[in-house]
Order: sequence, then C-alpha cells, then structure tokens
Amino acid sequence: MSGTQDRLVYMANQIARNFAVQGEAVAIAATARHILDFWDPRMREAILAGDRAGLSDIAAGAIARLQASP
Amino acid sequence: MTTEAVIAEILAAHPREQSALLPILHDVQAEFGYVDAAAERIIADALNLSRAEVHGVVSFYHDFRSAPDPRPVVQICQAESCKARGIDTLMQAARDAAGERVRLAPVYCLGLCSVGPNARVRDQLHARLDEAQLVSLVKAQ
Amino acid sequence: MGYEPQADFGTPEVRADTQVTLTIDGRSVTVPAGTSVMRAATTSGGAIPSLCATDSLAAFGSCRMCLVEVEGMRGTPASCTTPVAQDMIVRTQTPRLEKLRRGVMELYISDHPLDCLTCSANNDCELQDTAAEVGLRDVRYGYAGAHHLGQQPDLSNPYFLFAPDKCIVCSRCVRACDEVQGTLALSVEGRGFASKISAGQRADDFLSSDCVSCGACVQACPTSALMEKSVKEHGKPERAVITTCAYCGVGCTFRAEMRGEQLVRMVPWKDGKANRGHSCVKGRFAWGYAHHQDRITTPMIRESVDQPWREVSWDEALAFTAGRISAIKAQHGARALGGITSSRCTNEETFLVQKLVRAGFGSNNVDTCARVCHSPTGYGLKTTFGTSAGTQDFDSVMDADVILVIGANPTDAHPVFASRMKRRLRQGAQLIVIDPRRIDLVRSPHVQAAHHLPLQPGTNVAVLTAMAHVIVTEGLADEDFVRDRCDWDEYQDWARFVSDPQHSPEFLEAVTKVPAAELRAAARLYATGGNGAIYYGLGVTEHSQGSSTVMAIANLAMATGNIGRPGVGVNPLRGQNNVQGACDMGSFPHELSGYRHISDGATRTMFEQDWGVALDPEPGLRIPNMLDAAVDGTFKAIYIQGEDILQSDPNTHHVAAGLAAMDCVIVHDLFLNETANYAHVFLPGSTFLEKNGTFTNAERRIQPVRKVMEPANGLEDWQVTQALANALGLGWAYTHPAQILDEIARLTPTFAGVSWDRLEREASLQWPVNDQFPDGAPVMYVDGFVRGKGHFVVTDYVPTDEKTGPRYPLLLTTGRILSQYNVGAQTRRTANTAWHPEDVLEIHPLDAENRGLKEGDWARLASRTGETSLRVSVTDRVAPGVVYTTFHHPETQANVVTTDYSDWATNCPEYKVTAVQVTPSNGPSDWQEDYAGLTARSRRIAAEPAE
Repeated sequence: MSGTQDRLVYMANQIARNFAVQGEAVAIAATARHILDFWDPRMREAILAGDRAGLSDIAAGAIARLQASP
Repeated sequence: MTTEAVIAEILAAHPREQSALLPILHDVQAEFGYVDAAAERIIADALNLSRAEVHGVVSFYHDFRSAPDPRPVVQICQAESCKARGIDTLMQAARDAAGERVRLAPVYCLGLCSVGPNARVRDQLHARLDEAQLVSLVKAQ
Repeated sequence: MGYEPQADFGTPEVRADTQVTLTIDGRSVTVPAGTSVMRAATTSGGAIPSLCATDSLAAFGSCRMCLVEVEGMRGTPASCTTPVAQDMIVRTQTPRLEKLRRGVMELYISDHPLDCLTCSANNDCELQDTAAEVGLRDVRYGYAGAHHLGQQPDLSNPYFLFAPDKCIVCSRCVRACDEVQGTLALSVEGRGFASKISAGQRADDFLSSDCVSCGACVQACPTSALMEKSVKEHGKPERAVITTCAYCGVGCTFRAEMRGEQLVRMVPWKDGKANRGHSCVKGRFAWGYAHHQDRITTPMIRESVDQPWREVSWDEALAFTAGRISAIKAQHGARALGGITSSRCTNEETFLVQKLVRAGFGSNNVDTCARVCHSPTGYGLKTTFGTSAGTQDFDSVMDADVILVIGANPTDAHPVFASRMKRRLRQGAQLIVIDPRRIDLVRSPHVQAAHHLPLQPGTNVAVLTAMAHVIVTEGLADEDFVRDRCDWDEYQDWARFVSDPQHSPEFLEAVTKVPAAELRAAARLYATGGNGAIYYGLGVTEHSQGSSTVMAIANLAMATGNIGRPGVGVNPLRGQNNVQGACDMGSFPHELSGYRHISDGATRTMFEQDWGVALDPEPGLRIPNMLDAAVDGTFKAIYIQGEDILQSDPNTHHVAAGLAAMDCVIVHDLFLNETANYAHVFLPGSTFLEKNGTFTNAERRIQPVRKVMEPANGLEDWQVTQALANALGLGWAYTHPAQILDEIARLTPTFAGVSWDRLEREASLQWPVNDQFPDGAPVMYVDGFVRGKGHFVVTDYVPTDEKTGPRYPLLLTTGRILSQYNVGAQTRRTANTAWHPEDVLEIHPLDAENRGLKEGDWARLASRTGETSLRVSVTDRVAPGVVYTTFHHPETQANVVTTDYSDWATNCPEYKVTAVQVTPSNGPSDWQEDYAGLTARSRRIAAEPAE
C-alpha cells in the first residue's frame, strides 16, 4: 500500500469483505454507513474523487451510495 | 540410561498426582542414594508442583539426601527410652568406630522402647546394645 | 491520613447466610457462621496477640500466641483456628493465658536479635508489638546455645531483602506466596530447629528462584525478615495516601507511604476492590522512574528537529506553541490540527485534551492509544451488547466454573488479577486457553488447563466459529436465555451460519491447526460446565478481524446464557491503567464522552452549549489516518500527551515519515521519548504521584489518583493542557480536577452520579452511575441489555492478507512480560531490568535448528516492512512456524517489522501476525544503528539558553 488512495481502497474493500456475509444489499448499506460513521471527510472525498477500479462490488456499491447521498 | 531416563521410568510407575510425591522420592532415593536439585526439578515438573515445594519436602525428611553419600549408615535411636537406657554413654565409642567411613544417623524411636538401646542398619533392627555390640555393628558395615 | 498500618483481623472474612452470637470478654458479638474466634474478637474491638495469623491468609495455628479459654472446652484452643459457635463464652485474657503467652514469647525472643533500635522495622513490627502486649520482661535462656543470629541476609532481589536472623519461621511469607500470589516460590527448608525460609531450591536466592517479586511475602512478614530496601534507606513512613496504580488496567489501589515528599514504599491497600490487597512487581516496586535522571522538567522548543533543544520558560514554550498552531490553522484550516490522548493519564486530563482538540483546535482529529489496543473492544461490545465495556467486576471470577482465556497472558500482563484467577482455578474451576503460545497459565504449579487450543495466529474467528458450531449443532445453546434477552431472528441467522459444515472444527482444522476433538471438548466444557467467563486481551483485538473476534466472543456468551450474573460474562483485560477511561472520555474521533456519535445533534448541542463553541459534526482522523494525511500534506500539527507512537505504533518507518512531515509536533511526556525525536515542542509531564484525578480500570471502576508530592515540572498534566488552551485564548479556569469531573458528569449520562466528593467517601464507583444505577453496576445486564435485545452478529472468517511465503515463512506474534510495561518508558528506568534486560525472540527448536541458531545467538528478524536484530531463545512454548517477541525496548524496535494491516472496523493494527524470516546475524541491523545516531543527535539539549 503505497499512497493514501491505495490505502483507502484497501480499507473500503476490507470493510465490505467483512459485511459481505450478510448479503450484498445489506453489506452495501452497512459499508456505506460504516464509512460515514468513521471516516474523516477528506478520506471520503478522496475515495469519491479517486479511481474506483480497485474496489470490490460491495465497496463500489457503497461508494456509489455515498456519492448519491453524501 | 541417563539419570533423566531413570527418573522418567520411576515417574511412569506412579500416578501423576501430588499424593505420589513421597513414594516417588523414596524410589529416587533408593535408586540413586540421593534426590538432588535436578531430580527435584524433574519431579516438580511432572507433578505440576513448584520446585520449592518439592525441595521443602525433600529437605524435611532426613531419609532423603541431597547429594551422594557412599558411606554405610547406622541409625541409632536418640529418643527418650534409649536415652534412659544409656545410649549417650555408648556414642563416643560408636563415633570412634565409625570415623569418616560410616555415617551415624540419629533417629527418634524405632518402636522397641522396652529393649533399648536400639539401632538399625538397612531394614535390620538391633536391640539391647552394649558398647561392644554397637562398636562391632558399626565396624561390620 | 497519618501513618497507621491497616487493621489486621487475623483471619479472612467469611461470607455466610447465618449469623452466630457469642460472648467474648463479656461483650456480645454477632458474626457470620464460620468466622474464627480471633476475627470475631478483633472486629468487635478486642485484640488477641498473634504472630502467624494475618487476614489475607487462611488460619494456620502455629505460633501459639492467640490461645483463648472457651467455657466448656478443654485446654486453651488457638483462636485463629477455632470457629465461633452460638452462645460460646470466650475469655481472651486470664492469668493462665498470660503465663502461656509470655512463655511462648520468651522462646521466640531467645532466638531473635535485640537490635530493635537499629532495626528497619522498629516501631512497625508485630513481634515487637506482641512482646509488649504479652508483657515480656525477661528472657532467661541467653544466647549461649544454638541460635540463628548472625546469618547473612539475601540481598539478591533489587527491592527487598531477606534477613534469616530476624525470621521467626511463622510461614506467613510461604503462605502468602502460595495463597495470595499463587507462585509457590517459597518453602520451609529443613525441619525443627534447622527450619529456614527458602526461595526455590537449596542453591537459589530470591532472584534465581521462581519469585516474581509481587511483594506479598514482604507485606505478610511480621518482622523485618522480609523488608523493603527503601524502608531501610529512608526510615519508617509518617503518612499514607490512598492512590491508584498507573501501570496496567487492573487498577490496584495502594497506600503511598511517605516521609515528607519522599515516597518510602507503595503497599497494596487491603480495602481496594480491584486488587483486594495484592500487588505485582510493577505497582509495588517499580516507581523509581518518577525520580529518574532522564526525566525532563523544563519545557523545551526548537524551530526544526535537526536543531538541538532549547530550554525555555513555560510562558515562552506555550507562546511558541500557540503561535505555530494558530498559524497552521490560519493557513491550512482546523482539520490540519489534532491530538492524541493518553491511557496513562487521568480521565480529567484525557477529557481536557479532547476538549482542547474539539473546542480549541476546532477539529475532531483526536484519537487515543486504545486505537492500537482495545478499539475493537469498543466497537464489538457496543455493537453486540450496547456498551463499550466489560460486563463483570474482578470479584466475579471467584464465581466462575469455567474460565476461557483467549489472546491474553494474565500472569504477565495482569498479574494481580491472574492471582485471583489462579486462586479460583486451585479451588477447582476449569480452564480453557486459546493462544498460539503455551502461556504460563496452560501449566504452572497447581494450575493445569483442561484444554489448550494452540491456534495458528490470525485464526481467532475461525476457532470461535467452530466452537459456536459445536454449541449449536450439539444442542448446547441456552435458547431460553436467547429468546428472553436477545433478538431471536438474528440468533437464528447466526445459528444457521455457524451450523454450516464448513464451520465445523474438523473442516476448519486445516486453517486453525487446532485438533478438532480438542476444540469440540473445549466448546462443550464452556457451554455446559456451569458459569462460563471469558477473559481476553490484545491477542483478540490486534488482528485484521479484531472487532469480529470481539463480536464472536459476545455471540458465544449470549448463546450459552453466560451474561448478567456473577461468574460469567465477557471481560476485556485492558492493557493500560486508564484505557477504559480514555475511551469513556470521548477520545475517539467519532465519539463524544459516553460513546455518543459526533453526528448526533442532541449530544453535540449539549456540548456546544456547555463549551460555548460550535463543534465539527464530522468524524475526525484516526492515528494511522493522521499519519497518512501528514504525508499527503493535509495534516500539520499534533499534540501528543503521554504517548510514544513512534515506538508503540506499527510500521515505525511510516510513523516516522508522518511525524517528519508535520510542522508542529508537541510531545507532552515525562521523558524525551522516541516520538520526541520528531518534536518541535516538549512539554514536561507529571507522574501519577504528582497529580489528582481519576483512573477507570478494566472493570469500569473509577478510582481516585491523589497527589502525594509536588510535580517536579511544576504543573500537573491537566494544568499544562489548560495553559496551552489559554495560550490559544480559550479562557479555561479549572482549579482542581474535581471541577473537570463535574463537567464530565454533567455531559455524560453514564457518569451522571460521579463526583470527587463521592469518590472520597466511597473509594470507587463502577459506571454506569446514574438514576437507573445509583450505586453503579458491578455486573452489567442483570436485567437485560441496555440496547434492548442482545445483538448476534454473523462473523465470517476472513484470512489476513499478511501471509507467509518462501521469503517470509514464519509468523511473528508479539506480547508482554511481567517485569516490563508497554514500551518500557517507566519500567526500563527501574531495577525491573534485573528480570528483562532486553527483548528476545522465542523460536521453536526445529526452526532454530534449521537456521543454525542456538540459545542466545543474535538473529535478524525481517518482514516485508523492515528488519531488526535481537537475541533468540529456543523454546517449545511456541509452535513450529511461529516466533514471538516483546516490544519493551527501543533498541529492538519490534515495530519496525510489523505491518500496516489493521482491523477492518477500527484500524487497530495487526500486531499479532507478521510474516517474517529469521536468519543468523552478527548484531544490530543498519536501521538500529542509524536510529541510534538519529536519537543521539535529536536529543541534544543546548548547553546554554540561546540568546
């Protein structure tokens, strides 16, 4: 994990992976909620603005949800 | 066989319970003639006792020696009845006869109070000792 | 308080349902059945002379001083071993008893030196007192015969001595080591006249024996045979102040016994509810760091970290700091500023630091060292139970039938609690240990775990899921409890998940390396063995699934009904003295005090009104994110109180890069710690002996810390924070921590009933203390969960991304050792180094042999992150493929090798799993040598204040 962006993607994927067992819909909502609850605004802004290619499906879904209603 | 292996065999013959401590110590004493610090540690570990506990027990009983002593042993009773029957007057002669070669060990009652002075060598009891008998008993070892 | 030894009632307190009334010296006395006559007499205002009895130990009946007469009983029974009976009539003082006692005392004194005037126990000696009580006037025997006088003392222990000539062989020390400490390091050697107290075996002294230097024997000794060297040096104390230890999360209370401003000794306080009169080598003896020559007592500043430090006045240091902070805020905004609170400081101090950051700096970038230890506990227990705290008090362990210890090593890290636990285990409770390493609890004298599950590091969730599988599929769950207390639908989801054959012990054995049959047996024992209590530590939290593991533990406890009464529960063993308190005080970036989210408008409004400022509604940065942001240039200044993040946080290189990128690093500490190498401002701190306040221990117990001497630096830590706040124009005017505690109580519902006055009266309170729990809550969730229903969370095992491979084939896990504490800043500056002079690497004999390593060799320890060198210890305590070390010494810098991986929910670092290689080495690594050079340069202090 070199840059901050890589680290944020890693963190989002890790959160998503741990919620994944609850099913995709719940996991997306829980991941979005977790990021909203625990991430500093500049971290959220960075992941919203950054390259999302490395995000898992659930993490990408969560980021999209945050984008829709930050 | 190494000392450790012999002790391991002795341990294997007893249950791994704290109540087995004394029988184990007797066996180790019988096998080696002593229970040294290394043996205390092995036994403590096997029975899950502290080494201080085992050392406390070993040092409490005169029958357990902490180091080898190849000398033969004559146990001489020093308790009240044997005192009353004159053991003290025999001791100097016994000590002279023993010199450095025989170890004289005081014991307190061999259970033969009416026929003292008494002594013991290994499992053999000797009663109604006078000076000559005691000296010859010591010299015979 | 003046100096009076604490009252000793001779034999332990007895709890019984029935009361017995008897007559002692004409007084009618009512006590619980089973109480000794001695205790009945002493608790009702009488006194019976005694030597071998003390109320921390079971009655022994050997000294024959406490004889009494009982009507209808023949002879003169020992009052310590005689239980009371209804209508018993006891006389403690008759001519016959006087004569008997005097005769016995005469025999004791006939073999005791009469050097009372020059003895270190003079006027503080039970033998002396007893001789006076029995009226001994003459000793007829003289010293012509055999005696023990002139025997040489054992001075090997750095803190206390053993003088056999002063010893009366009452065996209190031996019994204290057995019953209170549970180490059994002492025995009586020999018999009869030759009886002698002996540590270890014949050739041992105290230091080479199994003695852990807890001090219980010294405390139990009625003479000066076992005596603190500090009393010999300074003399008898003249006053005692009750205060709370600043080491681990057990929170022992001590009598700080003083002469003037000189601390003479710390003696555990018998009325302390956390420690119940016991102590360990750290709290009892390792307080010398408070006066260590390394301590910095003058503020220091420098323009940049390549310059030497400049000693300045408080005013200049605070003006310099405030200037830098204001400039950074003006240029980069409030979110470029932050702070770290310390779990070693008081509740009041941590509360003020987070208040300074939120209300003064204007950001929520406040975090605490719990980030790197117990943050997953906060998340996991809040999610499942509704409260971020353990469920029990320490006393609860005495009602446990099955004790499950996972990822904790209590005998090293929480020794005083471990002694309670061992006492319960000796009474017959069964023990399950889940740990990669064979910790002492697995097998030590008189303690033997029923099951040890030596799991592969990083597989906690898999092991706990497999245990849940056994409990659910074998029908061992307490479904009545679950239906009553928990969300039944969630339970069913969870039960379905864990019942999957892929979660069976047999299926997961390949991952966990735990034999399935052993795991099944352990699960059955926990579920069916009676009261089941779980104790856990950082071996649970410091993983990429730390929070999941905490929740998995909570799931197990709920599924088996082990919540809501004494003897059960989920108990995090907190590392530092005030981890619980620092977390309670709103030290996390997303939470205000009492674990209320910063986005919660009602809570925020309450604080805004009280503080008169607007607060940022967004969560702030966690420590690792602060360091990332610093490297990225958006985070510029940090105020670090009582914390050495360079040594304690993972991936030292990354921490160093983050600190180096900041424009203002303020370190507030006792010593120029490792982090201070990158600091611009050093604010000297005060020790726990120099301040007032409160600590909250692992059982949620709030206890007072009291100032026993003036701060060497002139200010208590809360005063320093207040001075910094005022330099920034905040206008704070606290004059005592009691006012800060009032503010905490006003703003925090769980602390509503807490006040300094009440703590003065009641000594301690276990939160919550409010209208619902006016006297606090020793055991939580007795009548149900705070959140309504207990919440089962499905915890899926996700392997860590830190994996072994050909280059890094071994797994490194880290831990603690008894004599040292955390990064060692305190304990390394005491004589505790006698027991642990350096960190060593434990490696299995097979792995050592493969690498040509022998005991004591230097080895290079390398991971993907970095490398260091240390000596190896070859031992089968660790499994093949696993190596272990501690991180107490900065020379080792174990965190050079730990990685950036962290808990998914809280970013608590994964200290417990690092893939490494170990190879032979000639000595310190390049990094260690470079770092030593940097440290030397960075710690320069200008000889003269600059013009």
